[in-house]
Amino acid sequence: MFPGLLGLMLLLQAPWAWAGDEERKLEAVFIGRFASYIEWPAKPRDRFVITLLDDNPFGSLLDDLYRDKRIHNKPIELRYATRLEQVGETDALFITLASSAARAAAIDHAQRNGILTISEAKGFAESGGIIQLDFVEQKARIKINHAAALKSGLRIGAPLLTIATVLRGDKP
Amino acid sequence: MFDRISIRYKLIVLLGLSAALALLISSAITIYSTYLSESRASLRVLHQLTDVISENMRAALAFGDAGSANTMLASLRADPHVLLAVVNDESGRPLAEYRAARLSGALVSRLQAGVQARILGSADALGRVDGFVEHIDNDLMGVLRPVFFEGAPIGVLAVVSDTGVMWARIRELVLLQVVTSVLTLVLLLFLSVKLQSLFTRPIMKLVGAMQDVARTKNYRADLKADRRDEFGTLYAGFHAMLADIRERDERLSLLATTDALTGLANRRHAMETLQTMLARAQRKGEPLGIIMLDIDAFKAVNDRYGHPVGDRVIQDVARVLQANARDYDLVARLGGEEFLVVCDGGTPEATAAMAERIRAGVEAREVRDTAEASFHVTVSLGVHSAVPQSAQDDIEKMIRAADKALYRAKEAGRNRYVVG
Repeated sequence: MFPGLLGLMLLLQAPWAWAGDEERKLEAVFIGRFASYIEWPAKPRDRFVITLLDDNPFGSLLDDLYRDKRIHNKPIELRYATRLEQVGETDALFITLASSAARAAAIDHAQRNGILTISEAKGFAESGGIIQLDFVEQKARIKINHAAALKSGLRIGAPLLTIATVLRGDKP
Repeated sequence: MFDRISIRYKLIVLLGLSAALALLISSAITIYSTYLSESRASLRVLHQLTDVISENMRAALAFGDAGSANTMLASLRADPHVLLAVVNDESGRPLAEYRAARLSGALVSRLQAGVQARILGSADALGRVDGFVEHIDNDLMGVLRPVFFEGAPIGVLAVVSDTGVMWARIRELVLLQVVTSVLTLVLLLFLSVKLQSLFTRPIMKLVGAMQDVARTKNYRADLKADRRDEFGTLYAGFHAMLADIRERDERLSLLATTDALTGLANRRHAMETLQTMLARAQRKGEPLGIIMLDIDAFKAVNDRYGHPVGDRVIQDVARVLQANARDYDLVARLGGEEFLVVCDGGTPEATAAMAERIRAGVEAREVRDTAEASFHVTVSLGVHSAVPQSAQDDIEKMIRAADKALYRAKEAGRNRYVVG
């Protein structure tokens, strides 16, 4: 009984485990769209790199979606990492790590390297992540930690801030 | 009807009608032009509104944020003319909607259906980045604009507004135009009343002058006008026409009173003048001398030298008569070779002396037949002088007396005068 309850709790902490296909598709689309509203410090890369850290809940969805597409006029490269050490130079980092400590480490790494962090994990924005995305009744809710973005050297466009719940400092 | 109205009022009516027609046409053109420009301006405002909203709406559409989309559309309530605004997402489903509070449910349904039908029917126009659909009629106008994200359409924004602002401006303009037109018309009519005299005064002056001439028969009226326009030409033409009439009258008068061969008074004029002279002599109690004169053997002259020479003889005798008569005497050719001289105030002695001068003058005058040959003629004269007592009886009596004296002069051997 107890392991079952623990499993249920783990499932609740990892929303992608129960998110519907439609929401997942939207989530995949939104990753690219977020990037359109964000300015990175100039980097000498000829590709726009999106990295998934830990599990890949999208299957081949991201590959299908971003094949032959461009962000900021650069071709998109998708990378999949299971450990933080595997994350090399990247522009956006979609974090599916279940452990808050691991997420904190990833956030810290991203802030130091000017990387946009996105996650569905509850409390992600409050804990220093830049964009927290989740769905309520099939409607997207976006939470942005503006201070974290500035700390990472990223500038978020006003239209995105307009539709998001924005945390300034540590409070929404 | 129109031909009974004075030219003055015709001018006023014509000027007024012309001005009214011109104002009507210009007003119609102005109002139609304003309708076009105002409808374009209203649509342009609606385009600007949809441009701004669609730009802000992009993020809401990109992330399917219906709440933010509704909040953005709700700001349209600041414009009371916006009736309906709808944002469809990329699948064509309405993401957000604004409707004016004053709209009835039926009208909302009609507008919604109309918007969705137009979106469906305009897929081509709404599939381009710069594409749009616009519509305007008497009551409504609307603009549909696609929202693009990263080069792909992610939704459509439609804004429908009433045309109240446009019609309010057009109503203002029509009112202004009507007031301006009425004022302009009144001013033009006032000016036309004042200015018509520029045209009518010379015409009326000419008409008055013509009526005066017709009434007084005074063809010496001076109608010269110091003008260089058509009125000047008209005046000059009328003046020339009067001069022609004068000249013709004088010529006719001359033809009616003078003898064509000699230039002396003819019989009719002589009798009229004699009547006047006799009346004056009678009034003053002065004598009047009458000389009847006939060229001797004139038939023989004609037979011998021909009629042209005979005519010259008559002309020569006439010159002798004119040379011996005073300005106030009457010298006339009564016909053929017979002449009459009336001496105003002529006593028997003075008249007889004049008759003798005439006789001697004619006798002495050489009538030239050819360059080498010439001849002389003589005249016989009957002289009578009396103070007339009554006008009509005395004319006949005096002429008859002079005529008898002439007969006696002929009987006595010609080339002499006899006092009767």
